[in-house]
Amino acid sequence: MRLLTHNMLASNARGAVTGYPLKLQVVKWSTKEVEPNADFLRGILPKLDWPALVAATHALGLPELLPETPPTDAELSAEGAAEEEGGPLRRLHRALLEIHIEEGTLVCPDTERCFPISRGVPNMLLHEDEVRN
Amino acid sequence: MNSNEILGAQESVSSKGDHSCSSSVQSTPDIEKMYVHRVYDAIAPHFSSTRFAKWPKVAGFLDSLMPGSLVLDAGCGNGKYLGFNPGCFFIGCDISPSLIEICAAREHEVLVADAVNLPYKDNFGDAAISIAVLHHLSTDARRRKAIEELIRVVRKGGLVLITVWAVEQEDKSLLSKWTPLCEKYNEEWVDPSSPPVRNQSTIVLESIAETDEDTGVVKQRSDNLKRSNNGLDDEANVTWSDSSNIDEHKKTQQEYFVPWHLPFHRAEISGASAAALENGFAKKDDKKGTVVYNRYYHVFVEGELQRLVSGINNAAVVDQFYDKSNWCLVLEKL
Repeated sequence: MRLLTHNMLASNARGAVTGYPLKLQVVKWSTKEVEPNADFLRGILPKLDWPALVAATHALGLPELLPETPPTDAELSAEGAAEEEGGPLRRLHRALLEIHIEEGTLVCPDTERCFPISRGVPNMLLHEDEVRN
Repeated sequence: MNSNEILGAQESVSSKGDHSCSSSVQSTPDIEKMYVHRVYDAIAPHFSSTRFAKWPKVAGFLDSLMPGSLVLDAGCGNGKYLGFNPGCFFIGCDISPSLIEICAAREHEVLVADAVNLPYKDNFGDAAISIAVLHHLSTDARRRKAIEELIRVVRKGGLVLITVWAVEQEDKSLLSKWTPLCEKYNEEWVDPSSPPVRNQSTIVLESIAETDEDTGVVKQRSDNLKRSNNGLDDEANVTWSDSSNIDEHKKTQQEYFVPWHLPFHRAEISGASAAALENGFAKKDDKKGTVVYNRYYHVFVEGELQRLVSGINNAAVVDQFYDKSNWCLVLEKL
């Protein structure tokens, strides 16, 4: 599970108010390099919950990866942004798409319901008595 | 499980339907658990090995998306559309852990989740697709909820593509290979005043005449069959035209068990099939050398998708078409 997915996931169990953001408990994670896609990063930027993304990087033990405030569209669009190692685009790219949570748990902030992440895959299924009426 | 027990399982679904108002639309009915989720879990590797052809219309939709779009595939199966447009990013989910395992092994970004209850925040995706999923949901309310979920999770201006199997199959002989289910077994068909009645002979597996339903090879053979049997086609057409003029006695059959033939050599790989045979959930077809599983389908009539979305006011239909025996709808979130 990438942090992009974490930024989208919300608990929809009965009792959850927003169910967002899910607390991230990481047992194991890995990095897989992929080519940055500037169009994608610019498109997703306004939709991201930045504090949730930053909190996720802290949960991974990477407090230096992202700044407290999101990059601007101009920074992501700047010429050579995709090539600049350590620049805002590459950092965002790394945070969203290159880090994979392999083993861990997602915890609903409202109900404490735990969703396991196993072999890279979160299981968000609810039991019969947990769905909302 | 013998056929009487299968019957019993369905009756319990029927009687549940009577109390549907008190149970959540998000609670999965037994018929979907047994004849959709459990079956796909059992046949996943074989199913996946047969699922690689991409429908041109779905491919066209994905190709038309803006570069950099985030595409959410709800009910992604073996993930054959994930990553289809390399300029977009895809996240898939399916309720079958076995199918999701196959996607994950292919390095797709996936999770196990229910399309009727997506664990996503609102307005995040640029597009969402539901390919051959809604026909596995057994009530009108659940099919509608799944559509509402697709709309909920895309941004304003985002597109949703939905495809479902049509009653009006191009290869009309296929319907004769499916097992019609009693009309009155689920909440939308059930008449609370009458007890659920089922003609047992319609659901025993022995009545299934044919094999794998939608491979090109079979299609070709079926086309020959069709040519040699025009009378059947005419009869089928008459039945369909009745859908626009519903009367109690000639309501279009939309509820089916569609067989999946798992070759013995595939079945032996997984202990699930041995257990399924043991308890009667699946049957052996020695002639074909397969283990036969039944999948539940609600096949759609013309206009049904449009009817389902007609009460939804935050989306508009921007395209609708029939393609390869599927009804398809493209919605734009308003």
